[in-house]
Amino acid sequence: MNNFEVKIWDDERRFCTFYTVQFEDSDENETDKFFIRFDNFPTYESATQALLSFILLSIGDDHGAIDELLNRYEEEVIGLPVKGRVKLGEFTYNYPDFPLRIYVLKITDEIVVLFNGGIKDGPTNMESSLHHNWVEACEFARRIIDGIKDGAVVVDEVNRNLLNGKGTEEIFL
Amino acid sequence: MRSKVADRILSKTPEETKIFARLYSDLIMHINRIIKEKGYSQKSLADKMEKSPSEIHKWLSAEHNFTLRSIAKLQAELGEELLIVPVRKPVFEFNSKFVKTTYSVTVYSQTTSVPDKSESWTEAEPVVDSSKELKNAA
Repeated sequence: MNNFEVKIWDDERRFCTFYTVQFEDSDENETDKFFIRFDNFPTYESATQALLSFILLSIGDDHGAIDELLNRYEEEVIGLPVKGRVKLGEFTYNYPDFPLRIYVLKITDEIVVLFNGGIKDGPTNMESSLHHNWVEACEFARRIIDGIKDGAVVVDEVNRNLLNGKGTEEIFL
Repeated sequence: MRSKVADRILSKTPEETKIFARLYSDLIMHINRIIKEKGYSQKSLADKMEKSPSEIHKWLSAEHNFTLRSIAKLQAELGEELLIVPVRKPVFEFNSKFVKTTYSVTVYSQTTSVPDKSESWTEAEPVVDSSKELKNAA
C-alpha cells in the first residue's frame, strides 16, 4: 500500500471527530471519493444521504461512536450503517436494508477514521464487489493501529484529536 | 473544518431523511437502555407476554419494521414510554379590547413529559378577574 495521510474530515460535530485517509498521490480523500461516487449515482442518492445523516447526525451530533451504533464488526474495521439486524441482547431490530457500506476504524467513542466503501451486492465481503474496498480499509486500519502502538500516531482524547509523534497534526503513514 | 462534499450532500438531504436517521438511532439507544436496566431476556419477555420464545423472535425479527404498532407493542411489554408525542392545549387566552386593535394571545402548555433535549414548559395558572385584568401567577 502506498503512503497516505490521516487527516480531519469533520471536527465540528458535537460528540465525534471524523478523520479520513488520503493517498499521497491523490487529489481527494477516500471518504469524499465514496460520497461523490454514490451521490452521482441516481439509484443510490437517497441511500447516500441517509448514510451521511447517520454518520454526521446520529453518530457525530447525537450519540458519539458508541458500540450500539457501530456494531458491524468486519475484522479490523467496522461497516456502516448499523447492522441491518441490530441485536440488543435478545432483541433484533430492523434498519432499512442498505445497499451501501462504508468502512470505518473506531479509535474511541469520540474519534473515528472513515475510509471508502461500496455496494453490498453479496452476502459477505468476500463474495461482493466490496471485497477490494474492505481489504484496503483493513490495511489502512492495520497501519493506523500499528502507528498508535509504536507512537507514530498519538490519540489526544482530551481534544478529540490524532497527532503525530511530534505533537503536530500531519500524520503520514 | 468540514468536508465540503459532505456539506453539499447534507444541504440537499431531505429533512425527513435526517429526522429518520436520528429518530431510529435514538429509539435503538432508548430500547437498549431499558432492556439493560430491566435485565430482560427473550425468554423472560416471552414468559411475560405468554408467548413462546420463537414467537417473540419472529415478532422481533429483521423482517419486522419499526411501525407505530410495533413500537406500541414494545412499549406495552417493556413498560416504558418509547415515543412521546407532545400535546398542546390552550391554558388561557387574552383578548384586549381596551385599544382600537384587538390583540389575541394564546398560551399553550405541554401536557406530557418531554425528552431532555426539548424545552421544558411549566403550566401557567392565570387568574382572570371580572374586569378581565390578567394576573400572572408563578
